[in-house]
Amino acid sequence: MFWYIIQRELFEQLSSLRFVLATLLIVFLMVVNAIGHIEEYKTQQTEYRRQVSASSERLQGNSNNLYTLVVRGPGGLNKHPSKLAFCAHGSENHLPTSVLGWSAGWGRDSNIEDSIYKISGLWRLMYNVSPPITARNIFPTFLKIDWTLIISIVLSFAALVFAFDAISGELGHGTLRLTLSNSIARGTLLAGKFLSILISLGVAFLTGVLINLLLLHLSGTLQLDGQEWSRVGGIFVVGLTYLSIFIVLGLFVSSRVNRSTTSLVILLLLWVIWVILIPATLGTILSGLNQPPTIRDYSAKHSAQHKEITERYEARGLYNKAPTRLRPPTPATLLWAKYLNEERQASNRLTKEHLNAQINQIQIAREFNRISPTAIAQYAIESLAGTGFQRHLDFLKKAERYADVFNDFLITADRADPDSPHVPFVREGMSDKPVPFDSIPKFQDRVRLGNAFKGAMLDVMLLVLFFVVLFAMAHVSFQRKEI
Amino acid sequence: MLWTLIKHEILTNLITFRFFIAVIACVSLVLSVTLVLTDNYERRLASYNEALQVHHEKNFSARTYSYFSPQLDRPPNPLSLFNQGLDKRAANSILLRRDKVPSLWDDNYRSAGFDNPFRHLLASIDIVSIFQILLSLLALVFAYDAIAGEREDGTLRLILANPVGRGLLVFAKYLGTMICLILPLLISFLLALLLQLQSPAINYSTADFLRIGGILLTTIVYVSTFYLIGLLISCISHRTATSLITSMFIWVVLVFIHPNVSLFMVNHFIETEEKIEQANREVAQIAERFQREKGKLRDPFEWPFLLKGQWWGSATRKDVTHIEVDSELEIPTVKAYYETLEPKRIDTADTAWQVRKQAYSETFVRKSITARNALRFSPTGLYYLTTAAFAGTDRTGIENFFKSTRRYQQTILNYFYDKKAFGSRQWFASDKGTVRWDDMPRFSYEPLSDLQDAGSRAFGELLQLFFLNLVLFIMTFVIFNRQEV
Repeated sequence: MFWYIIQRELFEQLSSLRFVLATLLIVFLMVVNAIGHIEEYKTQQTEYRRQVSASSERLQGNSNNLYTLVVRGPGGLNKHPSKLAFCAHGSENHLPTSVLGWSAGWGRDSNIEDSIYKISGLWRLMYNVSPPITARNIFPTFLKIDWTLIISIVLSFAALVFAFDAISGELGHGTLRLTLSNSIARGTLLAGKFLSILISLGVAFLTGVLINLLLLHLSGTLQLDGQEWSRVGGIFVVGLTYLSIFIVLGLFVSSRVNRSTTSLVILLLLWVIWVILIPATLGTILSGLNQPPTIRDYSAKHSAQHKEITERYEARGLYNKAPTRLRPPTPATLLWAKYLNEERQASNRLTKEHLNAQINQIQIAREFNRISPTAIAQYAIESLAGTGFQRHLDFLKKAERYADVFNDFLITADRADPDSPHVPFVREGMSDKPVPFDSIPKFQDRVRLGNAFKGAMLDVMLLVLFFVVLFAMAHVSFQRKEI
Repeated sequence: MLWTLIKHEILTNLITFRFFIAVIACVSLVLSVTLVLTDNYERRLASYNEALQVHHEKNFSARTYSYFSPQLDRPPNPLSLFNQGLDKRAANSILLRRDKVPSLWDDNYRSAGFDNPFRHLLASIDIVSIFQILLSLLALVFAYDAIAGEREDGTLRLILANPVGRGLLVFAKYLGTMICLILPLLISFLLALLLQLQSPAINYSTADFLRIGGILLTTIVYVSTFYLIGLLISCISHRTATSLITSMFIWVVLVFIHPNVSLFMVNHFIETEEKIEQANREVAQIAERFQREKGKLRDPFEWPFLLKGQWWGSATRKDVTHIEVDSELEIPTVKAYYETLEPKRIDTADTAWQVRKQAYSETFVRKSITARNALRFSPTGLYYLTTAAFAGTDRTGIENFFKSTRRYQQTILNYFYDKKAFGSRQWFASDKGTVRWDDMPRFSYEPLSDLQDAGSRAFGELLQLFFLNLVLFIMTFVIFNRQEV
């Protein structure tokens, strides 16, 4: 019986005008997406490769002396562009593409015992602090054509258009009574209607997806490995879950109202507010309450701290004696090493604090935006596609871990030199021999499957929760409806 | 008779659920967004005022002529609350140098006052974009059953049995519903304006109020366009359900799909990178030529130094604070060096600017013009373009600031030429007294604020929107007249 209902409903849906319109729209957008991505993918990859080779060249140039590496650092750490950017662009063009492992930006010539002692700060990680200027694109595309757009706007919209008259329409025609006069439970009917809409829209979506993948494959830009394919699968499933939410929302409203046009009007207004306006306003409004400190404040604080540390060490006699290569190390060498290390640590702490405040502002906005399933689906898809904010945070974490690895390597390389006094990180306390370029650990960035699924987990669970609650509401309201 | 019909339309619409929703949704969204935007504007203005003060002091604390390199700031535009356009995305602080002509398209300037690099991840929405989405939807929701619904209920026949012309009926329906649609628009628009005026940071001039009036007028025409689209569909369709579904698909296409797809296409199919890179190479060659010419001259500040003493500075700026007596003889040589070098540096910047200007007009300007033309094909795009022109946040409005920085750069150079500053001692030395900047003209930027100017930019698009209205109305009228009821 259940199968019979689905069959009937499916047949009706597939032969309707709205199915044709929805499929055409999805396929058209998928084709546009593929065409755009082919171009973008090539520039992205070349740009990434160019940056990586530039960083590597710079590193090689600095490896002729261990201490040069201590001062200048590993250079730019580049973010690997995701191959699945066609699924979710994740505002990647507005996010920094690299973190700099660069010289500290301060150096001093101090007069110690009648000779000039040159010292410069140790290398550290530097983050982009101000947003890029984007005036070159005069008109902002506030939506970019990708799978996220197709899923979050077109599919959800189509779901409402498919579901709005599922119950109220049949009620109006009187066919609902007829159907229920057979031995069919109301729950079964509801489930049948839900599944038939899910299947018909799923078919439209799948058609678009297949055409999109086919175009990308033919152009040679789609070279995915197993784990990337499973991520694409994950995105498809997230899309279907999101779609289901809107179908049951449509069924719920349709069972509450007696006229189908009223049902669609209510649904449309709900849709505009829930899908378009809440993600665009709520987070922005509430994150305005939590402004990060300005760059001016940050740099003022930074230089005050630098001054404070330097003065503290000056009082302990920093400028009385220069460090030497003597073994065992003299107190002056140890003091200088301590000074340099503390200065870097404090500076890193402050930079991190500032970065965290900036991240925090965005996180708050994202938390509040999760009131809308559209934002949730977007975040889940971005996590799976390896783009967007969550991915950027992963990248930043990786860069930090790499900074530790690089510093550990510097210490190990210094240990290997028997002529060195082994006092990191002051010049006289460390080896001044060249370092074999191949032994330097390189920064390698990749999206991991585990991370991607872990990042999407919470969001997928939230989506399922939305679905369950709405389905229960639709079920109860249909059960209690008088027909 | 007309009045009776209009009254009937207004009354039936006013008591509906959809009207209630329309008012609530419009007012609450517009007000909350205005609140945030006003706060944001206050913050930007404070940051601008602070920067202005700091920079003014710094700009005129230069001790020698060569040290004069002013930092110029662009004030935020209060009308960006309505349509933010480029206002937040273009550079708002420019360091003017002798060797580079500033332009909107350079990407190495700062955008001070926004201190979060992830800021672009938060959608920033303005009042126009809310109207753009919400009001168009409401207009269609009010229109879908206007004719199809009455036909279905049989009331259409009833009305037409009276001595009422069909044209009169359509016209009455149009006027009546438009009044109902304009009500939530007016309420939210006025409340938003009132809220903005509460802020001490916002002081609108008469010209500003006229431009805001222009935005309001455009919004009304925009709503009317969508209402007429809905009416036309309602007229053609036989069933309200069909009318509603068709309207909705057309709405999604006009409001979301068309603007985004066309901008996406324009971005992808107009090549910029290559041309800009080529221009950069050419500029580098020009700079190299200058360096070669500079190499032929004897740089007094290169080893072995011509002057003995103490000085500060970099390649383009020098401040000699002390000269030993036996070096005094060399001063004329140094003067002559700068007198030949600096005009050459300025010419080089000019030549490079010609190349850059050409490249920009072939890439970014062309792209923006193409995108503009593509946007003109939908009422949503037209609405965006018109309101941006009224608000002064379109390309011309923002570029005006860069034009005035270029003018100011020219003023400074003329001032230097007039004063024969390049050949003076104070160009590079302050030991015999620092430069007095009393008669140096100050930079002042007046945004394009007069209505005529904004109106002339908005005129074409507004006219197009009006024309679209007219065509839609005539089509509805003709089709309705020839239809069987």
